[in-house]
Amino acid sequence: MVTSIAMRPRRGRAVLVAAALGMLWAPAAFAAPAKDARTGGWLGEDLPLPLPVRSPQDLAVKAVIERQYLLFNLLASGKIAWDAGDYATAAAKWETLLRLPGVDAEIDRHIRPLAAEARAKAGGTAAMLPPVPSAPAASVVTSPPTAPVSSGAVGTMPSVLASATAADRVTISGTVSGGGAAGPGGAVLWLRRTDGRTPRPAPARGKIVSQRGKTFIPRVLAVTVGTKVDFRNDDEIFHNVFSLSRPNDFDTGLYKAGGSYTQTFKQPGPIQLLCNIHSSMIGYVYVVDTPYYAQADAGGAFSIKGVPTGEYELGAWHEAASKIAKQTLTVGPGGLRGVSIQIAGDKKAPAFVPDKSGRPRQPQLGY
Amino acid sequence: MRRRPPVIVIPVVGVAIVLALPVWVAAPTAWAQALPEIVEEESANEPVGYTPADTAAATASPASTLVLTGYVDVGFVNAQGDGTSFAPGDTRLPADYGVDPFATAVNSRGDAASTASGGRFVNGFLPYSAGVGGRPSFLINTINVDVRFTAPTAPVMVFTRLQLVPRAGGDAGNDLDGDGTRVVAEQAFGRITPFESTELALAVGKFDSVFGIEYLENQANLRTGITPSLIARYTTGQSIGAKLFYRLQIAPLWSALSLNAAATTSGTMVTSLQTPHASLTGVPVGSARLGYELNLPRVQVKAGASGLVGPRNDQADADSLQRAWGVDVRVHWFGLAFSGEYLVLDQDRGAGPKRTGLGQFPLPSAFHVEGFYAQLAYGRDVTLGPLRRATVYARGEQRHARFEGFTPVKVRRLTAGLRLDLWDSLALKGEVLMNREVEGAPTVENDVYATSVVWTW
Repeated sequence: MVTSIAMRPRRGRAVLVAAALGMLWAPAAFAAPAKDARTGGWLGEDLPLPLPVRSPQDLAVKAVIERQYLLFNLLASGKIAWDAGDYATAAAKWETLLRLPGVDAEIDRHIRPLAAEARAKAGGTAAMLPPVPSAPAASVVTSPPTAPVSSGAVGTMPSVLASATAADRVTISGTVSGGGAAGPGGAVLWLRRTDGRTPRPAPARGKIVSQRGKTFIPRVLAVTVGTKVDFRNDDEIFHNVFSLSRPNDFDTGLYKAGGSYTQTFKQPGPIQLLCNIHSSMIGYVYVVDTPYYAQADAGGAFSIKGVPTGEYELGAWHEAASKIAKQTLTVGPGGLRGVSIQIAGDKKAPAFVPDKSGRPRQPQLGY
Repeated sequence: MRRRPPVIVIPVVGVAIVLALPVWVAAPTAWAQALPEIVEEESANEPVGYTPADTAAATASPASTLVLTGYVDVGFVNAQGDGTSFAPGDTRLPADYGVDPFATAVNSRGDAASTASGGRFVNGFLPYSAGVGGRPSFLINTINVDVRFTAPTAPVMVFTRLQLVPRAGGDAGNDLDGDGTRVVAEQAFGRITPFESTELALAVGKFDSVFGIEYLENQANLRTGITPSLIARYTTGQSIGAKLFYRLQIAPLWSALSLNAAATTSGTMVTSLQTPHASLTGVPVGSARLGYELNLPRVQVKAGASGLVGPRNDQADADSLQRAWGVDVRVHWFGLAFSGEYLVLDQDRGAGPKRTGLGQFPLPSAFHVEGFYAQLAYGRDVTLGPLRRATVYARGEQRHARFEGFTPVKVRRLTAGLRLDLWDSLALKGEVLMNREVEGAPTVENDVYATSVVWTW
């Protein structure tokens, strides 16, 4: 279901890119909305968008919309800054754009020289940017909504010092099986090099866990170390999110409908999410310390993109498995397909969900 | 007299510092140059997360709206003396009025090691008995099955808790010793939460007490330790009726107010003291607890005040009332858990024989009791093989009780123990109960050493 929805924006991507690039060279076309932009209030700073999320499908669609929205705004705000002679801002916006994972090759081809020129006009040296994508961009659809990026973000952006070029990167795909009655869906998979150092992943941006219908959506979210996750209350009632999973334990306190709380996850490992008010709610964030990771879909299929060739250990975590499954892989220039990994289904859901002090709660009591 | 350091030491230390300073300043740079550069890489993989299509699977009890859970509680216990608190030379009658028969508790149910009075007359102030006397014994305390059904299309939950209590003695038709095997429908109720945006729940059936806090952990797998407190007999009984729970969140203060109120057939005493399954007067007993919660990130404070009023349900006379009030507090602070409760209860004199879960007894005495407990526990998560958590705890308590016309009895108890949680399903517990008769009751050897292995499934 998610797959079918996710394909629709893919078809529209070319249209969006063409429209955005067209507008870049026709300033009059968006002169009206640029009124605020010239004064620094461009809409690109206003993410996340106030779109309702009622289901996992809503969340996926929202992710696509927010990504395209950010792409457009970085493109356009850079152009507006260029036209206003603010080359530093233009360079910052476009460099930020080029650092986004999976940016379309056409955008890259047009914007990269402009970003370099803007940076030169601003009197700086060219920033370190990801290599030019040599193939069609990675799936825009599976990328997340992206957080607001301030004009001063360039200085705080992580350096990208990947040794492998895009041409060296391959894809590992396969299937997870097991997971007991819950099935393998949501399993988190990651690769760690065994023949050298695994690069430290840059924090992901725009990660959201919604509380809706007294459930966590998504139920399982995989992120990289250092990622900030927004917890949002999309219910009409109070919620709380807490975790006793050390060392990533945290507590959001109470927050009402429409409220949100941001938590940064600094250590790798599984984090169980609970609500101190509603004992039936449970979810997971899994933090990986490698850029090569994925989550299995309901059928267990997974795909890890952008993997350099080499020797790896493949790890898999699932909420229903008491142990992490591991196996070694040799990744050649052609990548790997049909990788199969088995996870256990031996871990039961807890009979009693603890409250924030760790005391077990009887589900038939209270609310 | 202190010796002064040699004068030469001072310049030597000074020179050493001066020489070491450039090395110290340069060291980080040198280290940074020596270590390979840390590579940070944007990931091409940023999945949006996974949510199962089945919304029921997104709850804490996945894949089904019908959930069966339960536990088996097996113990090994040893009570001093003959397992009772009766003294051989004490000829006062009724025998259970002059001691605390509940003192030799051996399990989470509060069963005494023995209630055998040596043939002396007793008058219905007795717990159920494990029937093991003073012999070190293995014991199957409880075999518990919980069945919970959550309706997929309505805000309704149905819950049943059935317990098999295997015992060695007793007579199914007349079990005044309370040591017979029995099957208990401890809870059976339906609950509705009518408003999605309001924390309001209404329940009808047989359910836990609403008085105080000890009922919250009145099962072997939930209770930190093994045995209940000296006042649990008055507050943790189940009864049949209707119950309301309402909670109001006060977000800016990280706080909440709650009301738990019930109208039931027998109030909150345990079954061995009052029968819960039939109203002998036709008038319900009202009970309620007003609670306050402070839920800070690392500190949780809960306090409450409880009250109860209604006919004592061991009498057919609706004018023989029971009244109780109590206060409670719980504080959880960085792994430390403190809980305490204070209770005062009065029962009017009755008009006829007394009818309890153990049978019928002739004297409907008026009764007054006040008591308290305070427990401190420290738990720490551990990763050591199968060991997941270790908790040490200690509880101090006192009970002062008086039947009208008889000598008041004051007892104290100190309980200390250790709980180890293994994997996610096994708890090993061991504790010692040191009972002391302070006033009114003969001093007897009635300390208890209890262990418990609880398998939760």
